[in-house]
Order: sequence, then C-alpha cells, then structure tokens
Amino acid sequence: MSTHEVVTREITFAEAIREALAEEMRRDSRVCILGEDVAEAGTPFKVLSGLVEEFGTGRVIDTPISEAGFTGLGVGAAMTGIRPVVDIMFGDFITLTMDQMVNQAAKIHYMSGGRWKVPMVMRTTLGAARRSAAQHSQSLHAWFSHVPGLKVVLPSTPYDAKGLLKEAIRHENPVVFFEDKMMYKMKGPVPAEDYTIPLGVADVKRAGEDITFVATSSMVQVALGAADLLAEIGISAEVVDPRTTWPLDEQTIVESVKKTSRAVVLDEGYERYGVTAELAALIAERAFYDLDGPVRRMGAMHVPIPFSPPLEDATIPTPQKLFELAREMCGRS
Amino acid sequence: MAISVVMPALELTQETGKLLAWRKKEGEEVTKGEPLLEVETDKAAVEIEAPADGILAGVKAGEGDVIPVGQTIAWIVKPGEEPPKEAAPAGSSRGTTTEAARPAENMATASPAAGAGAAAARISPKARRLAKEHGVDIARLQGSGPGGEILASDVLAAAEGKAPAAAPAAAPKAAAGTLEPLTSIGRLMAERMTQSWTSVPHFFVTREVDAGPLNAAREKRLAVAEQSGGARPTHTDLLVALVARTLRKHPRLNATWTAEGVRLNPDVNIGIAIAVNDGVIAAVIPNADKATIAEIARQRRELADRAKSGHSRPADITGATFTISNLGMYGVDAFTAIITPPQAAILAVSSIVDRVVPVDGAPGIRPIMSMTLSCDHRVFDGARAALFLSDLAEAIARPEETLG
Repeated sequence: MSTHEVVTREITFAEAIREALAEEMRRDSRVCILGEDVAEAGTPFKVLSGLVEEFGTGRVIDTPISEAGFTGLGVGAAMTGIRPVVDIMFGDFITLTMDQMVNQAAKIHYMSGGRWKVPMVMRTTLGAARRSAAQHSQSLHAWFSHVPGLKVVLPSTPYDAKGLLKEAIRHENPVVFFEDKMMYKMKGPVPAEDYTIPLGVADVKRAGEDITFVATSSMVQVALGAADLLAEIGISAEVVDPRTTWPLDEQTIVESVKKTSRAVVLDEGYERYGVTAELAALIAERAFYDLDGPVRRMGAMHVPIPFSPPLEDATIPTPQKLFELAREMCGRS
Repeated sequence: MAISVVMPALELTQETGKLLAWRKKEGEEVTKGEPLLEVETDKAAVEIEAPADGILAGVKAGEGDVIPVGQTIAWIVKPGEEPPKEAAPAGSSRGTTTEAARPAENMATASPAAGAGAAAARISPKARRLAKEHGVDIARLQGSGPGGEILASDVLAAAEGKAPAAAPAAAPKAAAGTLEPLTSIGRLMAERMTQSWTSVPHFFVTREVDAGPLNAAREKRLAVAEQSGGARPTHTDLLVALVARTLRKHPRLNATWTAEGVRLNPDVNIGIAIAVNDGVIAAVIPNADKATIAEIARQRRELADRAKSGHSRPADITGATFTISNLGMYGVDAFTAIITPPQAAILAVSSIVDRVVPVDGAPGIRPIMSMTLSCDHRVFDGARAALFLSDLAEAIARPEETLG
C-alpha cells in the first residue's frame, strides 16, 4: 500500500477528512454536506471548518435536529443524482437513521433491478474515552456491517481517512464512514496529490512473524502499541487493518494468520455478536489448520460505557492488556 | 445409581496416574472403604479405597495403564444394574474417590503413555495437521502450550528428531551412554524442584548449635522406648517436635505465598524428607506441634516403612507446611535445600560433629550441629528467619522446657 511511500507532509486526521471533502466538492459539483451544525453553527469536532465559507450554505447545509429526517433527505437526494455526505455527529445517533439506511438506502439498488442508485456517504463517529457517557461513546459500526447493501469504512490513519473518504464519495451506492473521535488530532503523512484507496483492501500496518493482530479503527493504534511492547521481549507481532468491514479483504487476514498461526481480533465495538466475532469466525473457517491456539478477541466491555473516567477506561482494550494476552498466547508468560 | 471410580488427583501438579493393580475383580462385591485399586501417582504408590458398596463393573483400565486424572476407570453398581455406557464427565464423580479431581478441561493433556494418552492429548489444529504431514506420532509428544497443549513447534521439533520422546519405552537408542528412564517420582522431583528454584526467591540463613542437650534428651527417651517397646526416637524426631513448637511462635514461616497475600497455615504439619529408591519423598507428621516424641517416632517409622515399600497412602505425603531434611547420617557438614512449594521454608540439618569451641572462655569439645534454613523471601525476610533460628537454637539448648 502506498502508506509506505515517502511522504514528507504531515496533517491531522481531521484535516485529512476536510481535505477529502473539499477536494471532492471542487471536483464534483453534485457533492454536498448536510447535517447538524455542519455550516454556520460551528461544525462538529471542528472537522468541517472553512467548508461553508468556500462552498456556501447551498452545498453545506445545516439541518434541524432530526437524524431520521435529514438522512431520508440524503437518500432521496442521492436517488435523484446528488451525492450527499450526511453528517451524523455521534455514532450513537445512527439508531434514529436505521429505517432510512437499512430499509431504504441499502435496498433501492437491488429492488429497482439496478435502475436506481444511492450514491450517498454517511459520516459518523465511534469510540469511547471522551467522558461523554453512555449515549455518546458507543461504537455501533457492526450494526451497518450486518446489512447487505451497505459498505462500512473504518479508517485508522490520516492517510487512510483521506483516500477512503474520496473513494466513498465517488462510490455509486451507500457507504457508512466511521471516524474515531479520539483520532481527529492524530498526525500522519498524507500526500498532497489526489489519491483514493479502494474499499475492501486491508493494509498490513506492521509486519511480524509470531502473532497477528487484526485491528480496526481506534484499535489499530492499540495493536501497534502492543506490538512495540512485544518487540522488547522478542515477540514479533503483525498488525492487519481491514480498513473496511464490508467489503472485507478476507485474503490478507487469512494469509497473515496462516503465517503466524496465532490471532487476536480487536475492535472497539462490543464483542458479542460483533465485528470481532465475525473476524474470528472467518479465521476459524479459513485458517483452522494453521492455528496453533484459539483465536482471541478484545473489544468494548459488554456494558453501557460509564461516564466515570476510570470506569470508562476499564471498558476499552489497551496496549498493555493486549501485550499480556499476546505474551500468554506465545508462551512467554 | 452407579458410582464412578475415577483416577484420583492426589497432588496439585499431578496429571496422570498409573494403575498398578486392581484389588478386586470385575463383578466382585466391594465394601466402601476397603482397598479397591493401587495407583502410582507422581509421588508414590497409594491404595485407593472403594467409594461405595456394590459390585465392581465396567472396568475400563487395565494394570499398567497411565490414565489422566479425573477419568472414569470403572463403576460400582447395585446388583443387577448395568454400568453407564459413556464415561460421565469428571464433575459427576464428586463425592466418590476423587474430591480433588479436576474438571475435564484441565485434565492431563499429553500423557506420556502411548495409546492411553493419545486420545486425551489436546493438540492445536496446526500441530495435528503437521503431525499428519510429517508422520509424527502425537502420542509420544509432550505439549508445550500454556495448558500443556501440543503445539506446531512440538511437532516440528519431533519431526526434526530434536524432541526426546516423553515415553521412556519409546527411546530405545540413546546416542551415547545409557539413558535412565525417569520414574514418576524422578520426573515429579525434577519438575517441582525446577519450578521452585526458578520461581521462589530463596535465601539462606545458617546457625550452628551445641547438640549436647539434644543428645541427652534423645538418650533419655531411647531408654524409655526400649523399656516400653515403642519406636526408637531419632534426632530427626526430636527436631520435628522442637521445630513444630517453635513454628507456633513464628506463623510467618508456616505460611504459603499466594498472589493475593501470604496465607498463614492454621496447622503445623512437618514434612520429613525420606530417601526412597528412585528419589525423595516428604512424609508428613500432622499437627507435630501437639504430638509427643513417642507419637512422632511411631508415625515417622510407619511412614518410612510404607514409603520404602512403595505403599504410601495419600495422606502420608500431603499437607506439609514446613519440611526438615536431615543428611546428618551421611556425615554432611552443611547443605542448603530447595523449598517445596507451597511451603515457605525448609530446614537442612547436618551431622553432629565434635568440635573445639570456646566453653566458658576456654577451648572445649562440644557436639556441634549446623542447620541451614532456606527461606521464600516473598513470605518473610532475613530478620524473621534469624529470630526463628534463634528461638529454635534456644529450644535445642533446653529441649525439656519446650517438650514439657
């Protein structure tokens, strides 16, 4: 992947998102943004600052606080040829958009025999640790990953965020784009030139020999942190970032586990019936005879995310917890 | 209802037991409490009593078989009753012979016995595939996984001929010299001593004492024993009594390290290291702080007799809270011993030798005995060890006051 090219320019994750939006809006006049507070009211997490000034309130549109309403607006607009980017400030609020996304956006292309398309993107957030309590801290991307007709993107670096968002905006059917709230200030190399990253192509964020960490979004940094700790005791961990839960690059994940024989799957969503369960099942099905031990999982604890900072932190996987698990799995405990 | 007879776990570290002999035949009537079978555990040969009245039926294990702990090997049924077809899970055997039986998932994984252990051995999918591809017999492998599972590396090592086969019988050609196969006692001794030495932070404190009063106390009781025909008390017996009584004042030395904290053991049970043919076992004198010298001597003699004939009972070798190892009879000047977990200390006792020492300001000849205490530094420190040895030296100097 081109993440490994020499890129000297570094920008934040938020700037990468903003650049992707601005570049696609310049490139294609059908691209517009709608959501709560996206224009004059100030922009969520300051990601969109400057866009309304450049593109005006006709293309960066503040909506009422009605996620179901303006998501439906986005679906209908997309069906008529507009390419809306719908902004759902907190991923927790996707619950309000479910009928529009699951029964409408995901189904139109199929039920119209391919005559209608829904080229919309829903941008929203995931991740805990912002002390935002149970209704503003969830990672619910598994919900959309469950539904045929929706594609789900989970960028973990500024580079991936920009390339994947541009690809999502150019995509002909609905894509849900989850950004980790804690990652907006993270800096990383991003080329100034136009580039896109295809959906369904995983990225090996770190190569290793002894154990594979399959990690998404916020958990990629956790996996890389644990890999650093493990390197100090002579265990070489490989970090595979699927980048999209659907379409899913099964091949890269399976090949990595076949090489290392051990796997931990990490995702900040809930473990039960979630992304980690799906990925663990994939590994069990396709790499069973190369496994040297059970596939293990780490995700959010199965509780409403607490407001109390020490309790909230305890619900999320950390590099230290992953290090301990991996050390045990590699027989070095 | 049929009651299962399972391979008992007599030690925490025990994974398998070898069935030495059935004392009853299939179909024979048994009475609860009478000897039913004889088992060689990792430590010794023990007799196992029948868990219930009934008829011995459904015998699944033959003499010489090595069986994972917790596995059902037979049933005791009512007259006319058929034994169950499938072996019940180990959990259902509670209240029968194996109060200590562990759940099936913790059971022995890589039994060294060809055949018997192969089915029970846990093996990773990759290792199983590699074993097939390389033609490696997994029954011969000892797993290195976190729970003893056979892993890919074990199979590959065996395929390259690096892994020594676990089963002694499967090692016919040693490259040079004669390979002495490990007995179960030998293997356990190696495992536990390695575990102790590599995980328990040992330190050692030595003290020499004048053994004159100890000799005198022994002579006095020897005479009594000869008159009454009781067991002849040894120096070790006296030391057991004196150490046990001193330990009452030093509960921290009669303790066990756990992750949660130091557990003080309520009873003082003294293990005595006894040399047997193929290793050493520690026979236990329970509540030695309350036992008289005569009682200790009698118990010690019975324990030693059973140990040397390979007929130790489970209670003979379990539950020690402190061990004494006496090599005095071999003319040893001093030595250090390795702690037997979960105990926190062991006392190494040397021979009693006449030495020139200052006596009331002038050179005098006294019988001197050296004692070295091995200590688990997680449980107590050097000062506590020194205070204990000081009190023990005091007790040895005035044995009658302590023994009462």
